[in-house]
Amino acid sequence: MTQDVEMKDHQTPSHSVSSAVPSTLQHLKEIASLIETGSYTKEVRRILRAIRLTFGLRRKLTASVLSSFLDFALQPGSEPHARLSSFLPKEDEHDMEVDTATSAVQAPAKHLLPELEMYSYLLVLLFLIDQKKYNEAKACASASIIRLKSLNRRTLDVIASRLYFYYSYSYELTGDLSEIRGNLLALHRIATLHHDELGQETLLNLLLRNYLHYNLYDQAEKLRSKAPRFEAHSNQQFCRYLFYLGQIRTIQLEYTDAKESLQQAARKAPVAARGFRIQCNKWAILVRLLLGEIPERTIFMQKGMEKALRPYFELTNAVRIGDLELFRTVAEKFASTFSADKTHNLIVRLRHNVIRTGLRNISISYSRISLADVAEKLRLNSETPVADAESIVAKAIRDGAIDAILDHANGWMVSKETGDIYSTNEPQIAFHSRIAFCLNMHNDAVRALRYPPNTHKEKESAEKRRERQQQEQELAKHIAEEDDDDF
Amino acid sequence: MDPQLVEVSQQFERFKAAFVSLTKFRSLPPLFENTPNANNELLLAREIYEHAVVLSVKIEDQDAFERDFFQLKPYYTDAGNRLPPSPQEYPILGLNLLRLLVQNRIAEFHTELELLSATALEDRCIKHAVELEQSFMEGAYNRVLSARQTAPHETYVYFMDLLAKTVRDEIAGCSEKAYDYLSINDTRQMLLFSSDQELLEYIKDEHPEWEVKNGSVYFQKAKECAPCKEIPSLQLINQTLSYARELERIV
Repeated sequence: MTQDVEMKDHQTPSHSVSSAVPSTLQHLKEIASLIETGSYTKEVRRILRAIRLTFGLRRKLTASVLSSFLDFALQPGSEPHARLSSFLPKEDEHDMEVDTATSAVQAPAKHLLPELEMYSYLLVLLFLIDQKKYNEAKACASASIIRLKSLNRRTLDVIASRLYFYYSYSYELTGDLSEIRGNLLALHRIATLHHDELGQETLLNLLLRNYLHYNLYDQAEKLRSKAPRFEAHSNQQFCRYLFYLGQIRTIQLEYTDAKESLQQAARKAPVAARGFRIQCNKWAILVRLLLGEIPERTIFMQKGMEKALRPYFELTNAVRIGDLELFRTVAEKFASTFSADKTHNLIVRLRHNVIRTGLRNISISYSRISLADVAEKLRLNSETPVADAESIVAKAIRDGAIDAILDHANGWMVSKETGDIYSTNEPQIAFHSRIAFCLNMHNDAVRALRYPPNTHKEKESAEKRRERQQQEQELAKHIAEEDDDDF
Repeated sequence: MDPQLVEVSQQFERFKAAFVSLTKFRSLPPLFENTPNANNELLLAREIYEHAVVLSVKIEDQDAFERDFFQLKPYYTDAGNRLPPSPQEYPILGLNLLRLLVQNRIAEFHTELELLSATALEDRCIKHAVELEQSFMEGAYNRVLSARQTAPHETYVYFMDLLAKTVRDEIAGCSEKAYDYLSINDTRQMLLFSSDQELLEYIKDEHPEWEVKNGSVYFQKAKECAPCKEIPSLQLINQTLSYARELERIV
């Protein structure tokens, strides 16, 4: 199907200049018929494809195309038609008239499908956002949400989830995200009651985004931990969810889990979503630094990200060397970038890791060193450097960052010989975790092979199964009756 | 407790009646109705809760502090743009940060920190708490203790005293790992006791495994975790069996 569209795209320029407009309209009409069949046969897959095709046409939408599509899809003069047309700017009167005439002939007064109506809303909304008419977009989105609340059809779920997204997006663009929080919560409740899992997924992400926009990590975590979870329906939504989850966990100091979520989000995200992947990488780098790991150079050299990740690269360098002075200058130099990324507080937390790395370097290179020298090397700016160094070293020893012993009387730090790690259980544990990882990977791969990620099909088949079972029951009844007759 | 405080807390009982009558105002959170005197009512309520928070610190009741603080918080966050900023806001937010630090609720500490604006972070009271947390994480306990003198607000002293106790436990924990032995004199100084007697009491109560002999404290016993000689057979059997099961599934 996608191939077909591409081919048509190539053909259109060869026709004539004026044919560009009707061809977009033609595509829209095809999509509309796809939605129609999808809605009649209750095949969500078709509607999903229709939405995907629409995004290919997004750039080509114009006011005239849209208004003629509205005339085609909705009955001219009907209430939704009037409402939607009011959002469109009036232009190209002639063009429109021509098109209305043709489409009126093609589609003589027919029954209006809710799917088509909501699809028209989506188209108009997309157009308004692309045209940067945010206030109209907000009005249109709100109208569509009100209409959506009164509908309950599973075939609408895909379109609805898109509408939710753009509803929130249009409010975010004008900076009024907090206004719609209550509304989103209500929608999430409705989606849960309707067993609309895609809608729940989308709305949960929108809510998390909403909370995190205002740094309300506490509320976000409370909602997230209580909202129902199920296997992801949409990869994009799952990526977003992982990213938000990673952010929440980072703030709450659960770095190991945060690292996992953020890295998974960065890996799962489509290549085209560069901005999203940059964000994920920035957070993942910080989390790894906070964990005491040093991210590899290749992470900073990913295509198209070098520039954005530059501040983080320099920061990593400072942490790696363990130089507090350098760390401070880097943090100051890129202060505006870090506060724009909302990572400033995390970087403040990093100071402690810089000291640790510095200390580890010292403990590796010296077998015995005076605490005064440690303080000097770490460049601790304080009035009582020796006492500070002593307690810092003591804490590092307790936390297992370095293996050393303090001699208070002489003011020394004596590094211990590194013991033979193979005399402990350590290698066995490491080996086990690797085996477990490989086995897990294999199992996941097998699962992914057996059930293609087309979970919508399963839902359909459940419906179909019900139909089939009903038919079978009837058949069985008939047979039983016939049997009775025979006897 | 000081008799004055007793008197004050009696008055507080009457003051609680004010809380109850506050519930009649429909302009307060969570309703936020736009009544004609909404702003005055909000201001009044905010002030009452601010006093309640400060009072709870003075009567050294941490639970009451938490409760009152959460009542107060919406006035700063949700009604913040409608009311003139309160001079008490930053000291109280700082106090709350300090409380979380004392209770070792570091995750919540950072969650609260994220809510503060850049200007708030520059404030003396907030900065104080933030720097304390940093020193605490680093292990620069001297700085934590000396921060008591620079407490920006009189109410902070209570929490700073509590923090001193936490710090002592931390230092004790670190010392037993970091030193083989320490002279009693040094231990006493490090753990901030004024007499040897107190120190010996503390060792008896908290760390009976420490050994006191020849005028020194020996920590040897506390860190006897020699490399594991025994093979954890049960665990190994379990793991091997699970590998076998998984492999069977693959082949």
